[in-house]
Formats: sequence, C-alpha cells, structure tokens
Amino acid sequence: MSFKYIGKSFEKTDGYSKVTGMAQFVADIKLPRMLHAQVLRPKFAHALIKSIDTLEAEKSEGVYKVVTGQGCEIFFGACGFLDQNPIAVDKVRHTGEPVAVVIADTVQHAKKALSKIDVEYEPLPVLLDPVEAAHNKDVLIHQKLGEYPHLPSYFPQPGTNIFHHYRLRKGDMKKGLKETDFIVEGEFEFPLSAHSALEPHSVICRWEGKDRVEIWATSQAPFVLQQVIADMFKLPHSNVRVHIPYLGGGFGGKSDVTIEPMLVYAAKFLPGYAIKFVCSRKEVMTSTVLGRGMKAQAKLGAKKDGTFTVFQAELYFSDGAFGDTATNIVTVAGHNSVGPYSIDNCHVDSYGVYTNTPPVGAYRGYGHPEGNFISERLVELMAKKLKMSPSELRRKNFLCEGKKNSLGETIRDYNGNLFKCLENVEKELFFELKPKEDDKYIYGRGIAAMMKSPKGAANAASCCQIKFCADGSIQVNLSGVDMGQGAQQAMRQIAAEYLKIPMERISIFREIDTQHSPWEWQTVASMFTYRGGNAIVKTAEKAIKILKKNAAPILKFGIDSLEYDGEFVYVKTDPDKRIAVKNLVRGYMYENGLTVGEVAEATAGDRLPGYTDPDPKFGMGSAGGTWTFGCQGCELKIDKKTGEVIIDKFISSFDVGKVISPRMIRGQIVGGVVMGIGQTLKEKIKFSEDGKITNATWVKYKIPRINDVPRKQVVICVETPEIRGPYGARCIAEHPMVAVSSSILNALFDATGHNFFHIPVTSEDVLKVIGGKA
Amino acid sequence: MTEIINMTVNGIKHKIACTGKESLLEILREHLGLTGAKEGCGYGVCGSCTVIVNGEAVTSCTLRGKDKLEGIEVLTIEGLAEKNGELHPIQKSFLEAGAVQCGFCTPGIIMRLYGLLTKNPNAPEEEIREALSKHLCRCTGYEAIWEAALLAQKRITISS
Repeated sequence: MSFKYIGKSFEKTDGYSKVTGMAQFVADIKLPRMLHAQVLRPKFAHALIKSIDTLEAEKSEGVYKVVTGQGCEIFFGACGFLDQNPIAVDKVRHTGEPVAVVIADTVQHAKKALSKIDVEYEPLPVLLDPVEAAHNKDVLIHQKLGEYPHLPSYFPQPGTNIFHHYRLRKGDMKKGLKETDFIVEGEFEFPLSAHSALEPHSVICRWEGKDRVEIWATSQAPFVLQQVIADMFKLPHSNVRVHIPYLGGGFGGKSDVTIEPMLVYAAKFLPGYAIKFVCSRKEVMTSTVLGRGMKAQAKLGAKKDGTFTVFQAELYFSDGAFGDTATNIVTVAGHNSVGPYSIDNCHVDSYGVYTNTPPVGAYRGYGHPEGNFISERLVELMAKKLKMSPSELRRKNFLCEGKKNSLGETIRDYNGNLFKCLENVEKELFFELKPKEDDKYIYGRGIAAMMKSPKGAANAASCCQIKFCADGSIQVNLSGVDMGQGAQQAMRQIAAEYLKIPMERISIFREIDTQHSPWEWQTVASMFTYRGGNAIVKTAEKAIKILKKNAAPILKFGIDSLEYDGEFVYVKTDPDKRIAVKNLVRGYMYENGLTVGEVAEATAGDRLPGYTDPDPKFGMGSAGGTWTFGCQGCELKIDKKTGEVIIDKFISSFDVGKVISPRMIRGQIVGGVVMGIGQTLKEKIKFSEDGKITNATWVKYKIPRINDVPRKQVVICVETPEIRGPYGARCIAEHPMVAVSSSILNALFDATGHNFFHIPVTSEDVLKVIGGKA
Repeated sequence: MTEIINMTVNGIKHKIACTGKESLLEILREHLGLTGAKEGCGYGVCGSCTVIVNGEAVTSCTLRGKDKLEGIEVLTIEGLAEKNGELHPIQKSFLEAGAVQCGFCTPGIIMRLYGLLTKNPNAPEEEIREALSKHLCRCTGYEAIWEAALLAQKRITISS
C-alpha cells in the first residue's frame, strides 16, 4: 500500500512559531490583575510544624496574602492515592514541600517577604534509604497511611512506610527450582534522577468567585488536572478550565499533578486575580517530582540448555514523601523486571516506600528502565555462567507468538518481533572485529533487549473532533499534548492520509483548553500516536459518512454507492456524477437557499480494549495491552588514564509497527538514547544525611551536552504492523531510554570483566576496576 | 528608586524604567514583552536566554545592572526573521533538519549560531561545536541541531 503522508518526513506544523519565538509557554503569559507567588520551603526534611508566624511577611511591601496550610483538610492524588495536602499542614516530609505561599505584586516583593516568615519546627529522624525505611516501624512518615482513600489496585501496609506492595506470583517456584541447573543473582541500585525538561514547571490560576477556576499549566495531563482540582474543592469538573499552551518538554515529569494544587489553594484566597508561579530550576528538582530510585535484589534460574526456569526479585523504591504518583511505577517495574522473556515461574515483590525525599513520578520509561536493568544484567551473567553467547540465550527465551509474558498474557506475532530487532543490532555491532585493547583504550560491546507496555487507567482514551470549514479545509482537534515529540505533526499526517486532502489544508489543534478540546486521559505511556491516530480514523469515518448522506438524495444514489476523494463525493460507477465537498459541509444548499442534510462535524474516541489492572492475588492479568519490543547495543571505549567511558556507536532497533515520520521517530530515539547515556554515566540526585539535595542545580547535576553524545547513532525500525494501531503504528517515545543503561553496563562487562550493578557508573568507578590495567 | 536604561532592541530605541537590578532577560520579557528568550536555569548554564548584545551572543539572564545595559544594542529571536516573516537561513535550517522538538531551547541556540556565523561564516566545526556546547537540549540528543548548524553555515556561506 502506498501512502502520501504516512512514512514521510515533513516540516513540523509548530516549527515556525518555535523558531521565531512566537510559541507561547506558560511563563510567557501575562494577564490583567496578575500577581506573583513565591513559596517557602522547610529547613528540615522531616519535622513537625509547631507554629508559623506570617505577620511580618504580610506587612511587607507589595504583599497581598500569605497562605499557610493551617486548617487545610484537603487531600489530593492524581493517580488514585490521596495522601498529599496542597501545602504542608502540621508536618513537613521533604525539603521541597511548600510551607507557605506569599502572593505579591512582583516576584521580588514576594521573595523578600519569604524571609520574614517565622516557622518553628520540631525535627524528626530522616529516612532516605528505601530498604531501611521499609523495615523501620518506629519512624513513620505518614501516621495515617491506613486512612487514605485509594484505588483497589494499590496495597498499602498501615503501620509501616510501605504505601504500595505489588506481588507477582506466577507458576510454581518450587517446581521451577527443581528444574533449575544454574542460578545467577545480583543487587541493583538505580538512583533518583531529575527529568530536566528545559522549561521549568509553571502555573497561573484565576478564581472566578468561589466555584469557578481557570488554570494555565505546564501539564501533560489537562483533564487529570481538571479532575484533581475539582475534587479538591468539591466543584463540578466542568467548572474547572485548564489551558495548556506550548509545553517545553515533559518526559513524564509534567504528567503528574505537582505545583498546581498548592497554587490553586493559595489563589482561592484572592479571587479575581491571576496568580502566577514559575519554579526556579532548583524548585523543579526539589519540589515537583523526581524519577526512578530503586534498590533491588534478584535471581534468575536456567536449565543447562539455557531455558529460563525461575525469576525472583525484591524491589524497593524510595518514592519520597508522597506515594500517589509512584504507585503504578512500583507495579510496572515489578512485572517488567522479568524482561522480554517467557519464564514460567516468577515471584516478585515490589515495594513503594515513603522516604524523606521529593516524591517520585512518571519518568520516561515508567518503571521499565529499572526493571530492564535487572533482567538484562542477569541474562548477561547467566550467559557467562552457561558459556553461551548472550544473544543465543536471549533468543532461546524471547517472548514470541504463543508465549506468555510475566502477566500471563499471550504474545502474538502482531505484537512485534524481538528476533529481528536483535539481528539488526548484532549486524551493526559485529560487522567489524572489536578493536583490541591499545595503549589508550579498552573496548567493549554490549546488547540488551527490552519491552514496554503502557500503564494507565483502564478507561484511558483519546478523543477527536473534526470540523469541515466552508472551503472544504479541515480543523482537527485532539488533546494530546505536544511537548516536543511531534504529536501535532503526526496527527496532521494521519488526518491528511485518511481524509485524502493536502496536509496544508488541515489545521491541527495547537493549544489545549478543557472547555473546547475533546477528552483525553493524558499524554503519557507513549500512547498518543496510537490512540489519537485511531481516534482520527474513527472520527474521519463519521465525518465522511455525513458528507455522503448529504450527497445521497441529490445524486439519487444510496450512500454505499458513493465514494469520497477529499475533493468530491461521487458515484462509484459514474464518477462524473459528483458534488464538491465544500458544497456538502454545512448540508446541501439548493439555488433558492433551501438547505438539507447535516453539518459535517464529528467526534469519536479510541481506547485499548480489554485492558485491566493486575489481579490482587497473583498480580497478573491483561495489564499490558500492547507492547513495543526492541533491542539496543553499543560499542564503547574506556580511556585507561581517566576512566572516561566514550560511546563510539549506539544502535537501536525497535519494532514500531509503522513509521509515521522517519525524521520524527529518529529524533525520539536519538534523543532518548542520549538521555539514557546521561542516566547511566552521570546523573544522580544526591542528598546530605539530613535530607537536603546537594546538587539541585544544572552546575552540579550534569545532563548531557553535545560533547557527551555517541560518535554515531544507528536507528533501525522493524515494521510488523500492530493489529489495531493507526496504519499499523505502535507506541514509540519512552522506549529508547529503557535499555540504554543495561546495554552500556553489559558493554563495560565485556570491556573490563567487571559487573556493575549500579548507575551512574562514573569515571572514578571505572578507574577503580581497571586500576591494574592502566 | 527608578532607573532609566536606554537600549536598542531589534532596531527600536527603548527607555526602560526599572529598578536597575533586573537582568536583561527580565527587561526583555517583562518590560518589552519579548518572550522568545527563555529562562531555563537563571544562572547562564542552559543557554535558553541567549541573545545578541553588541554583536556577541550572551546569556541575558546573567547580564544585569545599568553599567552593563546602558546603551546596548540587542537582537533577539523576534528580530531575526525579515519584517515580512521570511525566515533567516538559520531558522530555515532548524526546520529543515528537524532540530526543533519542544522548542524551549531553540531561540537561544539559534541566536548563539547567529552570533558565531555572523562574525565568522566559515567557522570551523570545532568552533560550532564549542558554541553549541554552551546549550542544553533535553529532547533532540543534539544530532539534528548539529545538522541544522552545518546546514545553516552552508546556506550562509553560499548566499554571501
């Protein structure tokens, strides 16, 4: 099948506004009666608030209001675990929490007043380590854990710091162990890290009296935000209007509700004013959400021939002061730690643990990079033990047609082809002999396989509205947030293809406004091209049907005899009998003005069918829904003098189903790999013993710059059509970050013979290992 | 106390009434409504606020004080395209190479390259890389930005 727009690269629809500075982000917005908020953060990571004195601050120049949490009884949760107040009430649980909000005429005046607030604290012991916190019953970060309302898929353990325990019990471990000849094991550490989207989190809020509120937010999830805010204040959801202008990067860090409840709560005291708060870079790191943060131990068993028999793991996540946004990550990391393999017997316990650190939220990969780190390092160890090539061992156990994954779901051919992905990576990686160690460098090569499925609300859907304009051009409206991934352009190409009209005549939504935009669960889980694309197809079908219905009585043929080609509706057997689309879009108008038929506007939605939460007893069920499989690999060299790891070549091959835009897909993959390299070799949020983040700046927390990227990146897309994706397309966005760390650590193993089980692996770490070799 | 600072921005003369403590970035964004320059960090390490001051690319968030700002000539991303909306070759190259994802870092990087390639259209690759290394981008992995920079250089040297 040949396509006009699918599978081709075009200039992005939002490009012009972004290269000219016209694209408006939240921090760029100015509104009438605008005031500015600044936030007081605590001196302690864990302390009781004994008293707060705001009198002096209130008298400070330009100050309109100082708001504290005193008397606040509101709890919220974006993911169905209501354990957080919008502002600290009687206790602080991490150093980034809001203690007081000052609202003033200028940012400077608000900042000045912060220092005049007097807070008396009673410090409490600080818990930073998730394993320690999980077993400490004397120091509880939340005393009322048992009272928090939550979804039935979360399992808190009141009286402990464990707010969620996911259990996977598949098969029969005893039986599996009997069949096992070899066991390998490891202890893993995946640090907390910062998403570091370039745009800081920002929000503007304006209350209209007591029961209507308007919000401009840096959010990937406008409709979740609408619901959370409405529920907090017991408002009809329809009275909360959320605007999302351009979004400067998300990576999951803007999918969770973070600073908005605090500001909306504070702004309620000043109805009629538009109150703006833009996080400093430090606050993005201390006071929104972080990602990852896992300590784990795991074992993999196999028969002599390499068949995997058992998998056992215990994962502890330092999920910070509030658990809500981490609950599902704990679950997903648990059942994905098994890897893209068929293993009959699995026993996994994954714990979400409160710690006195910023809360953990969604971060590109959502539990999968953590899980992948476990499975892919263990497979490498097992290959060594069995004296098998790691690739051969992977092939022997790969998920494929008819095999069951850890959740018990049966994988089909149309779910993708791991074998092809691995073959692509091997060809690129091994087509030349590995360079031999020389005076300056040691060389290594490594591969890792991956899978990723979405994790979302079971009712998650994307909706679309299509409007034909009077000239036959089309407006397509969806609510997938374009945070740089190219959602708008991908949707424009799909719409142009299906509606058969030139792309230039399709105007795709730019900003999202819950008042006017169709419902979308949220732009997460790499699902938007898949679901939004399907929504376009379904909506376009409806709209075309209206045009045909309008044409049928005029052409005197039934609608089944009519065809649509973007310009005309015509009779299939007699194409000269036709009516221009533009003469059908508002109904058909006769010469005397009499108009018949319907207006050509339509709406429809798409959702993953049969998608559920894991069952509570075994942690299995239809919780994956759709998968993207892939392999990544790299060739690296180690500078023997400095220990520096230089990635010469990085290869990614994913089964994406169908490429919508080659350039955009490469942009996603190349960018994700570089993010993964930063995660593997550099990035780690560090804490002092008393719980303060010691590197909450981009001076100390170093994310990759242009000189840190691989010399060469190879991207090879496999296209096994997904059975119900738009034009066969599958999810691809977070995926390139999933197996980067394991690929690099496997390559370091190849280079040095040493197995690292933690990241980041720094030059110092490498130097220690190769000390004797230099 | 109110200070008056005179500066020319995108060819227009302005008298800015301010406290005198504002950074150039604040003046551009808050006083002049030129929000194309962005604040990503506030201390000059991400490059999102880069503009041209007296012919040099600078981070506008770190430039403050009347002594530094009085009489300067500034070019921002808003002043780069032709008045009729026709894009500058660097802007065109960014679109063509697919170097724009979220777009937050884009204006700063484009202005940095403008500063370099205006002074030295034949700048060697190491200099281009050095210029780009002053910027953070979390989306692209820099590959397409690098391609856009080389493409822009080609366009500029051919047209001159």
